[in-house]
Amino acid sequence: MVTREDIENIAILSKLFVAEEDLDKLTEQMQEIVEFADAINNAPDSGEEFDNINNLSNVFREDVVVESFPSEEILKNAPEQAEDHFLVRNHT
Amino acid sequence: MSIIKKIHDMLSSKEISCKELTEQYLSEIDKSNGELNAYVNITPEVALEQAQKVDEKLAKGEEIGMLEGVPMTLKDNMSTKGIETTCCSKILTGYKPIYNATVWDNLESKGAVLLGKTNMDEFAMGSSCETSYFGGATNPFNTKHCAGGSSGGGASAVSGNIAAYALGSDTGGSIRQPASFCGIVGLKPTYGAVSRYGLIAYASSLDQIGPITKTVEDASIVFDAISDYDPKDSTSQGRQKGLTYDTINNDIKGMKIGIAREYLEGIRDDVKEALLNATKVYESLGAEIVYFDMPAIKYALPVYYIIACAEASSNLGRYDGIRYGFKAEHYNGTHDMMCRTRSEGFGEEVKRRILLGTYVLSAGYYDAYYKKAQNLRGTILKAFNDAFLNCDFILAPTVPMTAFEMGHAVSDPVETYLTDICTVPVNIAGLPAVSIPCGFNAKGMPIGMQLIGNKFEEAKILNAANMYEKVAKENFKDTKWGVKL
Amino acid sequence: MKYELVAGFETHVELSTKTKIFCGCTTAFGGDPNTHCCPICIGLPGTLPKLNRQVVKYAIMAGLATNCEIAEVAKMDRKNYCYPDLSKAYQISEYDKPLCEHGFIQLSNGRKIRILRIHIEEDAGKLIHAHGDTYVDYNRGGVPLIEIVTEPDFRSADEAREYVEKLQQIMRYIGVSDCRMQEGSMRCDVNISVRPEGSEKLGTRTEIKNMNSINNIVKAMEYEFERQVDVIENGGKVIQETLRYDDATNTTSSMRGKEDANDYRYFRDPDLVTILTSREEVEEIRSMLPELPEKKQERYIDEYGIPEKDAQLLTKYRKVSEYFDEAIKDIKNPKTVSNFIIGSIFRRVETEKDKEEFAVATSPKQLNQLVKMIEDKKIQNNLAKKTLEQMLDTGKDCTAFIDESDLGGIDDSALTSMCQSAIDSNPNAVADFKSGKEKALMALLGNVMKQSRGKADAQSVKAKLIELIG
Repeated sequence: MVTREDIENIAILSKLFVAEEDLDKLTEQMQEIVEFADAINNAPDSGEEFDNINNLSNVFREDVVVESFPSEEILKNAPEQAEDHFLVRNHT
Repeated sequence: MSIIKKIHDMLSSKEISCKELTEQYLSEIDKSNGELNAYVNITPEVALEQAQKVDEKLAKGEEIGMLEGVPMTLKDNMSTKGIETTCCSKILTGYKPIYNATVWDNLESKGAVLLGKTNMDEFAMGSSCETSYFGGATNPFNTKHCAGGSSGGGASAVSGNIAAYALGSDTGGSIRQPASFCGIVGLKPTYGAVSRYGLIAYASSLDQIGPITKTVEDASIVFDAISDYDPKDSTSQGRQKGLTYDTINNDIKGMKIGIAREYLEGIRDDVKEALLNATKVYESLGAEIVYFDMPAIKYALPVYYIIACAEASSNLGRYDGIRYGFKAEHYNGTHDMMCRTRSEGFGEEVKRRILLGTYVLSAGYYDAYYKKAQNLRGTILKAFNDAFLNCDFILAPTVPMTAFEMGHAVSDPVETYLTDICTVPVNIAGLPAVSIPCGFNAKGMPIGMQLIGNKFEEAKILNAANMYEKVAKENFKDTKWGVKL
Repeated sequence: MKYELVAGFETHVELSTKTKIFCGCTTAFGGDPNTHCCPICIGLPGTLPKLNRQVVKYAIMAGLATNCEIAEVAKMDRKNYCYPDLSKAYQISEYDKPLCEHGFIQLSNGRKIRILRIHIEEDAGKLIHAHGDTYVDYNRGGVPLIEIVTEPDFRSADEAREYVEKLQQIMRYIGVSDCRMQEGSMRCDVNISVRPEGSEKLGTRTEIKNMNSINNIVKAMEYEFERQVDVIENGGKVIQETLRYDDATNTTSSMRGKEDANDYRYFRDPDLVTILTSREEVEEIRSMLPELPEKKQERYIDEYGIPEKDAQLLTKYRKVSEYFDEAIKDIKNPKTVSNFIIGSIFRRVETEKDKEEFAVATSPKQLNQLVKMIEDKKIQNNLAKKTLEQMLDTGKDCTAFIDESDLGGIDDSALTSMCQSAIDSNPNAVADFKSGKEKALMALLGNVMKQSRGKADAQSVKAKLIELIG
């Protein structure tokens, strides 16, 4: 059973605000989705843990330096920046 | 006939210059995009600059490659350096990547002419393209209907002849379903065949880039071009076998086509009828139809939503207003800024999936949902492996229905999820599948079917699809829109 | 009631790879803000990680050097939490299948500190809080770390000091990290609880962070031990919380609680593949490990007769021990070399960093040449000492400072005549010596040494003087 508290808790973990007026609707929707997901509960499975899809292993890069990007490029898309840093103003 | 080959011949024979061709496409986009809403970002400068290069090459008498000068489009979740890439989400508005996705690097170096970026469900989460921040793309067969999703824009553009081909991405059917709705061809390659580097992730273990084209031959040409091993993607393997194009006209006599009964449950009668007609076509081509049961795929849909949403909840955590994209205007403190940015920047469906994904991964629920779903993923994979012991490929409907009317899909989330029932098993098992048109319903809307192959067996399914296309031309109908070559 | 301290360590060690764990950006310390970055390490949408092979190798080396078992199958997981210094909102780490498990480090009191696990992960960026705002620099984001987690096996702050010093020493020896606490390339978090002595039950623990030196770790642990004992003795209860150590006041204080509940929602990272390590690879890596300090120390004591304290000094830094190993080649008494290194050379390399690098003007070969001259009785110890100083000043060979007249011993007749002359000119000293003041002999000895310009062997001079005085 999905509760309002569940939704509030996962909203915090997801860094999302859920408006008080949407909480009931969302809880109901999530309950419906979770019930739908519950279909798997009784599904037979081998219990074997799934690896990655193509069973790949040991894909590595060598420890060789590649030139970094100029900081102007790195900061290009930043909503706010100052002194070559990404900037988060404490409040607006 | 292959659109790409036709354009290639026209350019090579100088029947038309690349500039003229590109301008024709751009002007048709101008005329029709208002109604189709296929493009969310049109890039005439990029296209014309590339066209000029091609013309210069031709003027010097040099030969051009098959994809050189061919006008095409990318789904808006593929990173294009300097060109806005938004995933059709408010949260990425204004974001101009500083690097190229490997597929675009690859095609750009082959001289592809990029007309623009196409519409999609926000972060590829949806089945009608309507969760797009820019509104949904419409269906060229009837614009009251949606183009499907999530790669609806690409499918609409190709079906509407305002791009010779498009690249889409398929996480749970996002290439095949809109291709089916729009009466065209969509190939979802084997997981690992095409690099994901630069594809903005929805669900990393399921996402795969593939072509959306008018003909099977086109799909083969584009797939061969983009299926390279990429050292930047740890899960990349590239095409494991030769060019699919080389075997596309092979005789399919004696091929065994499997039909899993579970795929025929709960699908509309007209869709079922079209599929059964297709089996007759195949029989006439000398193939053998074998029916079998595959109970494991019954669990595919919940398994898909659990895994996809879990991965998405993690992949989408990074949109926090600090490094790129949208940032909330008013806030109090960093934590508040992040929450407001995300709450204002993401649409409802995306938030719903993030919440579901967080839920199934959170303490106390992980074992019951995520872990169980992962185990079942192995079970489904094994069921497919077993099936391929007895058949060359599996034939199944792509979608249980035809394109819904605009506005229909958004009302009930679970009902909408059910439309993915035939497409998701392929993603769960990492298999290749191509959707091709196989008929029309009473209202003239296209019906599609998919050919599902074993891992890295793209050549086989494209071969079989192409042979079908040759004898079932009437199902590959053109629309009134766009460029007429 | 008497209380016992129970502590465990979580130590983050930055690996000395050239590049970051998942991209080719440099790991160089410092640099202008956001200049050691690329789309991957700032987590631009669509980018993918690719694991640096050397990170896995270094982690396995660290595991082997601390007696761990190396996992045949390991994998990378995502640890999900949002914080401005974490560009992807998850840290790629290892959750339930770490590379190394079940190791230990043995302390000098014989106790073994069990190592629960060593796993690889990425570092976060750096936040600077200024004028109420937050500035983010991702240069450090993606630098490879190993996290070394111990069982709660520490019973005193002294054990903790020894453990951290040993860990530092081992990591530096095998070359996987420089372990500089001041620069943040080694960071320790300590879990502490107290319990009545003799009790088996663990008390409520607190976690202390932000200690940037071994002295601070010791002080913080001592402070926190006292604080917890006080709380309990006053009838209170220790609260499980994360504390920050303030070295200015030598106190711990509660860290501002994160807004989040702690639920990291670990799951396997679908962008990375399985890490398989064959037993052959493990043995190959093991065979390439240098002799570890503990073994080396034993060898110095047992084979060379170096006093334990000196052996410790020689093995503390790998470069010093390597210098010593080279300088003692074909030397009969390695202690002479040891004395020169600890006496003369250490005076010139005072800081930890200098000792770590041990860049000395005199090469081990040059020192070896000098000591051989002593052993061949060509020059005397005193002269050799003086000569070494000149060598260290200039980097020249010892032969540059020893002229022909210095070479060779002094024959017995010359020695006798020098001693006789010293006796003759110092009757008072002779008288004092005869009356039992043994020290008086030193004045005579000094006189002879002066006459011989330091060439005479002090022992022989003493013997001759006593013989002549009768």
